[in-house]
Order: sequence, then C-alpha cells, then structure tokens
Amino acid sequence: MADKLEKGINTYSASECQTASRSTAARNPVALLSVTLLYLVTLLSVPLDHLAALLWFGIYPLICSAYLGIPFSRIFVKSMAVIPFIALIGIFNPWFDRAPGIRMGGYELSHGWLTFISITVRGLYALQALLLLTSACGFIGMCRAMRRVHVPAFLTTQLEMVYRYGRLLLEELQQMRRARMARGYGRRSFSVGMWGPMIGQLFIRSIDRAQRVHQAMLCRGFRGTIPDWQQNPYRWSANDTAFTAVWILVFLLLRFLSPQLLFH
Amino acid sequence: MADALLSTPVALAGAGIAATLLGVAGAKIKKNADDINPALMGVMGAFVFAAQMVNFSIPGTGSSGHIVGGILLASVLGPWAAFVTLSSVLIIQCLVFADGGLMALGCNIINMAAMSTLVAYPLVFRPLLRFPAKLWKLMAVSCLASVVGLEAGALCVVAETELSGVTALPTADFAMLMLPIHLAIGLGEGIATGMVLYFVQRTRPALLVREEGRRTAKSIKATVWGFGIAALVIATVIASFASSDPDGLEWSIMNITGSTDLESVGTVAEAARNVQNSTALMPDYDNSLSGIVGAVVVLALLWAFSALITRHRSKKAAAVVSNTDNKK
Repeated sequence: MADKLEKGINTYSASECQTASRSTAARNPVALLSVTLLYLVTLLSVPLDHLAALLWFGIYPLICSAYLGIPFSRIFVKSMAVIPFIALIGIFNPWFDRAPGIRMGGYELSHGWLTFISITVRGLYALQALLLLTSACGFIGMCRAMRRVHVPAFLTTQLEMVYRYGRLLLEELQQMRRARMARGYGRRSFSVGMWGPMIGQLFIRSIDRAQRVHQAMLCRGFRGTIPDWQQNPYRWSANDTAFTAVWILVFLLLRFLSPQLLFH
Repeated sequence: MADALLSTPVALAGAGIAATLLGVAGAKIKKNADDINPALMGVMGAFVFAAQMVNFSIPGTGSSGHIVGGILLASVLGPWAAFVTLSSVLIIQCLVFADGGLMALGCNIINMAAMSTLVAYPLVFRPLLRFPAKLWKLMAVSCLASVVGLEAGALCVVAETELSGVTALPTADFAMLMLPIHLAIGLGEGIATGMVLYFVQRTRPALLVREEGRRTAKSIKATVWGFGIAALVIATVIASFASSDPDGLEWSIMNITGSTDLESVGTVAEAARNVQNSTALMPDYDNSLSGIVGAVVVLALLWAFSALITRHRSKKAAAVVSNTDNKK
C-alpha cells in the first residue's frame, strides 16, 4: 500500500523531470505521436499467426530509442510489466487451439502457442512504443501536441488540471496515511470502516480546494481553457517531416512486404 | 486492457465511440458551465487518481481493493462531467504510468468510464436512491450500481477481445471467467463508494443535493427505455447462443477434452481474421523457423547498436557539461 502511493509520487516526479528537461534535440510531440499511432495501427493489423513478420516490428523501438537517446534496456525492462495482463487471457490459446502451427527442428509448436507468443510480442512492442513516446515528450508536451491536432480544449485543460493537482493530492494523501500509521500501533492495512472516512475527508478537502482554485483562476482572467502561453514551442521542421515520412515508409514495407523471406 | 488484445478495426472503433461520447460530454458540460467548472472536474479527477493509490483490506479474504470512482464522481458532478473526469484519469494512467495501451484507450474509456457513469449511474443509482439516504440503502444501491457498471465493462472486454480474434477461449467460457471476478470487484467498489458517500452525506450533504437537483422526469423514462433495450440486447445474444449451442456446459467440456469445435463461437473472429488476411499482399507466406531466427538475430544486432549509440551520446553529453564547468 505504502509502496503503491510512493511509487505513484515517484512516477509523477520522473514525469515532471522529463517535461522540464525535454531537450530541443527530441522530436516534435505531434510527429512522435503520429508515428507511434501509425506504428500501433500497423502492428495490430498483422495476423497473429504471422510471428516472423511480427518480430520485425521490433526495429522501431530499437532504432527510435537510439535516435532519441533513451536506453533501450530501460524501456525493455519497463515493458515486461505488461506480460502478466496479456498472459491472463492469452494463456488459454495453447489449451483450446491445438492445431499444428510451425515445426521447429523435430518439435512442432501448436497454433495456440504460436498465437500466445505473438500476443506477448505485440504487447511488448506496443508498450515499448508508448514508453518511448512518454519518455521523449513528457505529459505536458503531449497535451500541447493534442491541442495542435485540434483535440477539444475542454479535454486538454481537464488533462492538465488532473495532472497538476494529482501530485498535490498524492502528497496530501501521503501525509494523511503517515499520520494514521503513526497512531496505528504498527497496523499497516486500512479496514473499510477506516478507509471510508479517510477518503471522505480527502474528498471534501478536494472539493474545497477546487472552489478556491476556481475563484483564483477567475480572478486571473480564466475563460474556460488554459492558454498556450509559450509561443509555438514545437515548430514543425523539415526534420519532423523526414522523421515521419521515413517511418511511414518503413511501417508500410514491414506490413506489406515480408522481410523474413530474406532468410530463406 | 492492453493493445495486444485488440485488432486494429476494434481498437479504431473503440476510439471512435469514445471520441464521440467525449464530444457529446463536452457539449453537455458547456450547457451546465455555471454548475460545473474545470477546476472542480480537474481536482475531482486528481482525487480519484489519489484515492486509487490507497487500498482497503477486504475482510476474510486477505486481499485488498481500491476505488474506481465512477459512481462517486457521477453523484457529485453528474454523469457527463464524471465521464470526462474519469476518462481523463484513464488517459493520464496511460500516458504517464503506461497503464493500458494507447490503441486500447478508447476501449478502456468505454469499459471503465462509460459503463459506470453513463450506464450504471443513470439507469441504476439515480432512479433507486434519493439523498439523504439510510446507510443500508446507500450501501445496497452503491453495490448494485457498481456491480452493474463493472459487469457491463467486463462484458465489453469479452466482446472486444472476441471480436479481435485474439483468444481461442470460447465466448461463453471467457464470460464465465470474467463475470464472477468482476462481481467480487464490484461489491468491493460498491462498499467503498457507499462508505465515502455516507461520510459526505453526514458532513457536507449540500454536495450531493446539487446533483440531486438535476434529476428530472426524463431520467425515469430513460431508465425504463434503457432497461428495455438492454433486455432486448441480452435476449438476442442469449437466443443466438441457444440456437447454435443447445448445451453450453457440454459444449465447453467437449472443447476442454480435445475435440475442438469453435465454429459457431469463432465466426466473428474468423470474419475479422479474413479481413486482416485480405489486407496483406502476401498472406500465405511461410512462417518458418528460419524467418523467426533471422528476425531475432537482426533485432539483437540492432539492440547492441542502439546501446552503443546511446552510450556514445551520454558520454558526449557528459563531456560537454564538464567542458562548460571548466570554462566557468
């Protein structure tokens, strides 16, 4: 429990650092977001029994991590977190689908195992692409990218507000939890009877805070959306066009040609 | 739900539906701009986000659970604003915590946000409960609404996964696996929601009465229509199962013992697979060992290359920093 809350605060801090230290060498968030979405669309469109074709999609996270200066080993380790969720559903495939899949030496892998491996591989690749996007752009960068591609302002404002106040409320909750632990005679877990009033307290404090924040925002001329105060921080450059075009080409080649035939 | 469990058409359809619902929600919020302000929605989203980080122990099980917050948010903000707020929490969980996939985001918004705020709240919670309420009634209705919301979400997960053709698990078995788990989660969610609402009702009842004031005769009509349509849909789905599989239990046992006959259940998945195959220029290529080994070798080489470049860059950056320090 304590770990979960502290982990949440740490992830928040890491995300804020990414946002603050985003170098100009990193790509425009709009370009990176478009390329990531296109990658995911083409990746998920590969039929599950085409494992060899699917494996080739691993070149995107590998090359892109080197290009953006993000260690791939870190991305790879983080992406392993998705495996239990996928295995929960995918593990039934070997059980129910025992049709022949591929022959590996003298051993035949069933179609169920083949699809299970494919689901795991594409889960890893999809999460690696997402981690690259979030590591390179930071959350606020992505909110601005969303605004550039005309995502409604009410949604981007809402996202920025939740992101900014999330950290504050996590810290407030940590203080409340610490106070409770100090008076709990070593008891670490919360019964429902205790959890309810504690979260209820936080709920009421949050409402009060929201009212104060809203008043303050109105006093400073707030008109429904958070203004984009920086003057066009992510200008679209020729590099962005080249970056996007090259990856579109690569994805189309991976999807519609078969690079694995080179090894026949 | 992860990206890997979805096919492209299902993921895009989910994103389209979620975007449409968010668009409608945006228009509704604009209409009620006096009641609901962005700061309230933002802070409430942050509250749900924080509250999910503290688990409560479930008596007698040795396990713990946390709140999802759909019914709680809808009780204060109304269903549409709660939908936007919960969606924003899901988006942040995806983009900051990499929890759930980017392509699966639309489906996750439907399964978790829409089902609790736009289905369970207006169809179950609001018609059955009026504030101030007694504790037992508050708990009972919270549990019922949470269970309906979570079970509906679980059914959506089953439908999305089956339509994507990702799992070989027959639909009925998959549903039988998901529904009991979500029944237990729903009860935990209901108890947690009831506890918080009871605390708020005792300490700050005005917060709950505000949403109560928006209740109209229309909501009762919507409930009747909603249940009618839901009953029709469920009846249709059950009828289709009944016609193709007279005895679901016998049929699933037959599958487990080896004689797999997934024809009737797999038709949708089969159709989706056919669409995918028809988009490939070379759908019948050989999926041989040599192809797989080749791909793995190339990826390993690329990884080594990527590590070299990253190390070289970080060394270069460190050299630049030390040079700058020396100049100072």
